[in-house]
Amino acid sequence: MVVLVGAAVDAEAHSENSLPHLLSQTLVLARRLLIRWVRNPLAIVHALLLPVAFLLTLKLVFADSITSITGENALYRSVPLVALVAGMAGSSVGVVGITAEHLDGFLARLWALPIHRVAGLLSRLAAETIRLLGTTLVILGAGVILGFRFHRGAAAALLWVAVPVIFGVAFSALVTTAILYWRRALLVEAMQPVVILGATFCTGFVPLEQYPGWVQPLVRDQPMSSAVDAMRGLSVGGPVLWPMISALVWSAAIFAACLWPIMVGYRRASTSR
Amino acid sequence: MTALTAARPVPSTAQQWWVLTTRLIAPTLRNGEVAVGVAVSVAATASFYIPLNRLMNGPDLQMSSYAQYLMPLITLQAISFASISTAFRAATDTVQGINRRFQALPMASLTPLAARISASVYRCAIGLTVALACGYVIGFRFHRGPFYIVAFCLLVLLTGLALAFMCDAIGTNSRNPAATAQWLLLPQLIFGYLSVGIQPVHRFPEWIQPIVRNQPISQIVYALHAFAGDSAPGTAPVTWSVVGPALIWVVGVIALTLPWAIVVYRRRS
Repeated sequence: MVVLVGAAVDAEAHSENSLPHLLSQTLVLARRLLIRWVRNPLAIVHALLLPVAFLLTLKLVFADSITSITGENALYRSVPLVALVAGMAGSSVGVVGITAEHLDGFLARLWALPIHRVAGLLSRLAAETIRLLGTTLVILGAGVILGFRFHRGAAAALLWVAVPVIFGVAFSALVTTAILYWRRALLVEAMQPVVILGATFCTGFVPLEQYPGWVQPLVRDQPMSSAVDAMRGLSVGGPVLWPMISALVWSAAIFAACLWPIMVGYRRASTSR
Repeated sequence: MTALTAARPVPSTAQQWWVLTTRLIAPTLRNGEVAVGVAVSVAATASFYIPLNRLMNGPDLQMSSYAQYLMPLITLQAISFASISTAFRAATDTVQGINRRFQALPMASLTPLAARISASVYRCAIGLTVALACGYVIGFRFHRGPFYIVAFCLLVLLTGLALAFMCDAIGTNSRNPAATAQWLLLPQLIFGYLSVGIQPVHRFPEWIQPIVRNQPISQIVYALHAFAGDSAPGTAPVTWSVVGPALIWVVGVIALTLPWAIVVYRRRS
C-alpha cells in the first residue's frame, strides 16, 4: 500500500508536461539511440568508412579533370558533397529504427510510460544531430589529411560544419515522414535513386558549366548545390550569402513541411499496430 | 482407414520451385518493387551520363561517343542494384522464419534458395531492359549483330547471378534486412567509379592503374565494350584475350559464392 501511494505521489511530482523532465527524458532516450548506433559495427562502417572511401574515389577519378577546368582544388567541392551524402545515407539507420521499434512494440511501450509526449521524437532529433555532427567531423578530418584547408577563419569553419548538420536534419525529417506513412522496408532501397541523383546533379560533383544547358537551373537551385556552394564559399572563398540563404530556406521549408505529419504519424505508429 | 494408408503425394521439385518463385515475383508490380527497379535504372543512366558527358568526352576515349563508352557501366550498375536487393529478401526470409518452415515441408532443401535466385534474375532482366532502353535514348547502339547482343545480355545476367549468390549468403547470414539494404549505395559507386567503365585507364593516377585495370568490373566492361562494338574503328575485337578474363572472373565468383550460399543457407535454417 505504502509503495503504491509513494508511486502515485512520485508520478504527481513528475508531471508528463514538465519541461525540466522533458530535458532529462530526452537525454536518456537520445543516449539510448546513440549507444545502439555506436554498438552496431555495420552502421559505423556505413556511416564513416564508406563515405571516406567515396571521398578518396572522387579525388582519384575526377579531381584532376575538375581542377584543370576550375583552377581550384576539387576538394573544396567534394568534401562538402561527401559530408552531405554521408548524412543522407546514414539517415536510413533512423528509418530502420523507427520501423523496427514500431513492429516490436517499443514505441507503444514508450507511449504508455509517464513521460513527455514529445520526448520520443525530440530524442530522435537530438541523436540525429549528434550523428550528423560526428559524420561531418570525420569527413572533414579525412579532407584535411588530403589537403582541404579553411581560408576564411574559425567562425566560417564553424558555420561550414553546421551546414551539413542542418541539411541532414531536414533530410532525416523527410525520410522519417516517408517511413511513417509508407511503412515498407523497400523505402531504404527507394531512397537510393534520390540520393544518387541528388549527389550527381550537384555543383559539388562537377562544375555547373559542365551540365547541359537545360538542366543547369535545376542543378543550381537544388538544396544540395546551395549547401555545397555555401560551404565552398566558407572554406576557399567566394559568394556565401545567397547560397547560404537558399540552403537554409530549403532546409527550413522541408523541416516545417514535415513537422506536423511526423507528429501525427508518430502518434499513430505508437498507438496502433 | 483408407486415408491413413493412402499413398503420400509425390511433389514435383520443378513445380515447387515455380510456386516459390511466383511468391516472390507476383507481388512486385503491386508493392512497388518494379517501380523502384525502373527508377534505379533510369537514375543510374541519368546520373552517369548527364553530368559526365562534357567532362569525360574526348578523343582519347577511342569511341564514337561517351554514351557508347558508358553503356556497360550503366547496365552493370542497374543489375547490381537488382541483385543486391536479393540480400534484402534473404535476410527477410531468415528473420521471419519462413526458411525454417520450408525445411519442415516435404521438398528439396535448396528449392527456396533457387527460387530467390530466380527472382533475382527476373529483377536483373528488368534492370537490364530498362538500362538498354535508356542507353538507346542517350545514343548507345549495338554494332555487331544479334549473336553479340545476346552475348552482351548473357554476360550481364551472369554477373547478376554471381552477385545474387554472394548477396543471398550475406543476407541470410546477417538476419538484418535493413542493415543489408544499406550496402547498396556507396560500395557500388566506389567500384563503378574506380573502373574503366567511367574513363580510360590512362586517365587515372599512375599508381592505381593496375588495380583499376584488373578489378572485375573493369574486365567485364572490356568484354562488354567488345560485344557492343562501335561505329568508329578502334574498339577491341571479340577475342578470348578480351572476353576470357571477364568470363573467368564471373565463373570464378560463382564457383566460390554458390557453395558459400548453400552452406550459409543450410546452417541458418
